This record gives sequence, C-alpha cells and structure tokens, in this order.
Amino acid sequence: MSISQISVFIESKPGMLKEALDVMAAAGANIRGYSASDTGDFGIVRFVVDNTDAGLTALTDAGFAAKVKPVICVHLKDDPGELSRALGVVARAGINLEYTYSLVGTYICLQVKDDLEAVEKLLERESFELVNDNDFFE
Amino acid sequence: MTSLNNDTILNPDIECASRERIREIQLAKLQRQVKHAYANVAWYRERMDEMGVAPDDIKTLDDVRRLPFTDKTVLRDTYPYGLFAVPLDDVVRLHASSGTTGKPIVVGYTKGDLDVWAECIARIASMAGVTSRDRVQMSFGYGMFTGGFGLHYGCEHMGCMMIPASSGNTERQLMMINDYGSTVLIATPSYAMHICEAGEAAGIDWSKSTLRVGLFGGEPCTPALKREIESRMHIVCTDNYGLTEVMGPGVSGECLSSRHQQHIAEDHFLWEIVDPKTGEPLPEGEEGELVLTPLDKEAFPVLRYRTHDLTRITTEPCACGRTHARMDKVRTRTDDMLIIRGTNVFPSEIEDVLAGIEGVSPHYHIVVDNETGLDRMTVSVELLPEGMHDSFEKMEAFTKRVADTLTNTLLVRPRVKLVQPGTIARSEGKTKHVEDLRRK
Repeated sequence: MSISQISVFIESKPGMLKEALDVMAAAGANIRGYSASDTGDFGIVRFVVDNTDAGLTALTDAGFAAKVKPVICVHLKDDPGELSRALGVVARAGINLEYTYSLVGTYICLQVKDDLEAVEKLLERESFELVNDNDFFE
Repeated sequence: MTSLNNDTILNPDIECASRERIREIQLAKLQRQVKHAYANVAWYRERMDEMGVAPDDIKTLDDVRRLPFTDKTVLRDTYPYGLFAVPLDDVVRLHASSGTTGKPIVVGYTKGDLDVWAECIARIASMAGVTSRDRVQMSFGYGMFTGGFGLHYGCEHMGCMMIPASSGNTERQLMMINDYGSTVLIATPSYAMHICEAGEAAGIDWSKSTLRVGLFGGEPCTPALKREIESRMHIVCTDNYGLTEVMGPGVSGECLSSRHQQHIAEDHFLWEIVDPKTGEPLPEGEEGELVLTPLDKEAFPVLRYRTHDLTRITTEPCACGRTHARMDKVRTRTDDMLIIRGTNVFPSEIEDVLAGIEGVSPHYHIVVDNETGLDRMTVSVELLPEGMHDSFEKMEAFTKRVADTLTNTLLVRPRVKLVQPGTIARSEGKTKHVEDLRRK
C-alpha cells in the first residue's frame, strides 16, 4: 500500500516555493496535495503529485534537493469524527505521527517513523480505506 | 566618579632606554635566540643550513635578513609540537590559533615565556593608567585564544584584582561592574560598545560608574568607535596589538600621547617592515608588511614571522617619554583573514572542512555582523541532494553537525544556513565569499 510523496528542501526566501511548483507544472506533474509549515531558514515541503517520477526528475534537474518517500494515504468517509477516528488508531498503538496533511477532498497523508505497513494494517482493521499510487491517481 | 588617568611607565630603564642601548639589547638577544632555534628546532637548522647561514653569522641587527622567514604554513606543517624548542615537561601552557587549513596552530610557553608575556601586558596596561589598585573585569572569553589568559595573568601580575567574567551575558556584565566596582573593562571594542548601550538602556549613568579604563583587543578598533565609547562611557580606552604565533597580545600598545600608534616592546621583539610581495626591507616610515622576531622565546622560538599585517613604523621620540618604536595601528592585511570574537578565521579553511562533509558542496558564503554586540558569523552552505532528508528534525540535526564540524576547526561557532544547491556564486575571488556587515 502507501503512496509516493516528494519532499523538497526549500530555502525560506520569497519565490522559492513557487519556483519548485513551476518546475513541476512544466513537467506536467499535477499537485494533489502538499504541506509546508513555519520552520526557520529552510523548510521541507512535501508534495503528492500524479506523476511522481516526472516531478522528481524535473525538480532534481532544476537543482532542487528532493527525495521520494512512501507515506500512508487514507481515504476518509466524509463524516464528522472520521479524521479523529483514523488518528486514534495510530495513537492507541502508541505511535507518534511525524506529520500529517490532507490531500484533495477527504484524503489524508500520515507519516510515522518506520513501521508504515504496521500502521496501515491497524487502520485497515478499523475499516479505513487505504490508497496507493494507482488508486489515487486513477 | 572623577577619573584621573596617568600614563605610567612601568619599566623606565628599558622603555626609555636610548635607541643605541635598545639595539644592543636586541642584537645580544637575537644572537641568543638564533642559537637556540638552530640548536633545538630541526626545521630552522635545516633551513639555515640550506641557506648557508650559521648562528655565528649574525653579527649585526641587519644580519637578521639572512635568516629564513617563518610563515603560517610552517606552523601548520609542524603541528602540533614540531617547532617546540624545549622538552614538553618544561612547557607550562598551550594556546592555539586557527590555521589556514584543517588543523589549528599550537604554541607553547615555559614559565619564563609567561613572565615575559605578563611584563608586556603590564606595560600596555600601565600605558592606559592601570595600577595595582584597579579591579579588572575580563570580558574576553578564556580558552585556547591568547587574549583571555594573556591579559588576565598580565594584570594579575601587576597586582590588579581580576574579575574573570568571560564574554557574553551582558546583564551579568553590567551587574558585575556595578556590584564589584570594576574600574577596568577588558573587551573587544564592539562588545564594549554593546555593554555601553545595554547599560544606557538599563538606565545606568556611565558618568557615575566606577569604570575608568577600557583595554581593548582581539579586533581592530577604529578611532571613531573608540572616541564614541570614551565619551559615552566616560572612560579612557586603549588598544594593543599582538598575535598568538609570536606570543599573543602585548607585542605593542597605545600610550596616551600617541593615540593612533602603538609602542612595540622592542626589548622583546625585533621588527622589520618588508615589501609583502618580495620580502625585501623597506625604508623606515614606509608602509609594508610587519615581520616579527620574538627575542625571548624559550618554548616556541620564531624567526622572522610574516604577520601579513600592513603598517608603518617610526623610531622618532614620543611625547610620553618612551623610546620604543611606534607602529601605526593595523587596518589592512595582505590575506583574507577575518577576526571573529578575537579569533582568527581563514575563509579558505571553511572550504576544506566542507569538502570533507557528505551532503554539502564546498561552496560557501560568509556574512559577519555584530548587531548583538558580539560578532556573529553566518556561513551559508549548499545542501546536496545526498544530504536531503524528508524529516525536518534530521535536517536540523544535519545543520548542527555541519556547524559542529566547522567549530572544531575554526574554534569559533558559526551559524550555519543551508541553502539550495547551486545558489552560491562560484569562486570569483575570495572577497566575494565574505560580507562583513560589522559596525566599526
């Protein structure tokens, strides 16, 4: 399971994030979700795009430091309490989230230290719909 | 407090000796020093043999020109003890300065070397009117840097009450000045300015403070900055010159009669002014590179050290009565050395260190500022895709590791800023790598 996510090192300078976005757009990589937060001199901006390979190549060719990493992707039911229920599964297992963010609609991404598949199994057991690259970009 | 500062000549017999007598002392000591270096330091013996000069060939002071120059690279190549002339059992202290690449420069002192050093410091402190009755707040950092311990023991030797505050924590510095009644402040001029401003902001009336003297060092001090500190803090400030390789601070110091120049302790140091390109001597009064031969060094004799500092020297009599030659304060250097919080930093070293770290490129850009009073050096370093990690925490740890590695070599902690690959301008000469925004 899991989907591919691109992490990009972005310096905290006006226009840097836009440059990364433009590079991916030119390569035809469509952004389905992203996360960026207030860090310091730099940030790690994460993207889920419909064409990971094209996005990564374009970024690297343009001189960005970028990496692809798997991340859990859950398709939530559009009901109150569903996000809490999903995160509750991870919490009850005593696992810390590294970060989480939402994609288009009711899709959310979760990152944990290393036991990605274990957490996915826990979520599945609680009838969450997990998504992989193929499902998501269909 | 009304302050009355009298320039006190600590050792008039030597400091006011005739030029002739000074030259006699210098020649006798130079001959002894050359013999010592030749007999006990293989590097000097080999160089002198190659050049066909023996210790007995030194018959006049001008014969010093027959001796080899010593440059920083030799001190690096012989790291750590290659130039020591006495058994390590006789060495009672080490100090270090940063080298031009990789390893620091290490120097050693015997008990006798420390006595000479203390005497030199006591002379320059006396020039500013410091006496045994003074309470001296040391706001240089201690550590391997020569400034802290050098000034500390020199003033203690005079009988001053030493207050080893060390640098930083400005509120505590102000509290100490106030509570302990410090009369002398030893600091870099930029930090003294910061203490001054912090004091004003805290409502201190400097005209009522016990402080009466500032002894500055560690970095060049412009006359304008000194005048400003003097008028705002109601103190008299002097600065001195020195470098670790030949001893440390105290090689020369400013008297109150000749504020833009510094008297060289000529009974302990032989000076030459040479053309920085050819190494040929220049006539008295012309600007050139200062070359120093310490005359009393037991542990670490150095012949004709190329300082890379540009100055001019006069032997004209000074109004203060001292006969020792005066050098203009050093403003410019022949290399790209930076002085950060009193420590020498060679930007070229940074490149060497970065080349050894996986995940960054060797390209760098340095910004130096002193907005907070203390010098701050920010080194921008390019992150390579190999160094990239998805976790911000790991990226922060990586940044810290780069800063730690740089600190080990530079002896000053820089702030490291990771930037995107390829965004630092490629070598267009060293000056392009450094932006010095310090308020002088």
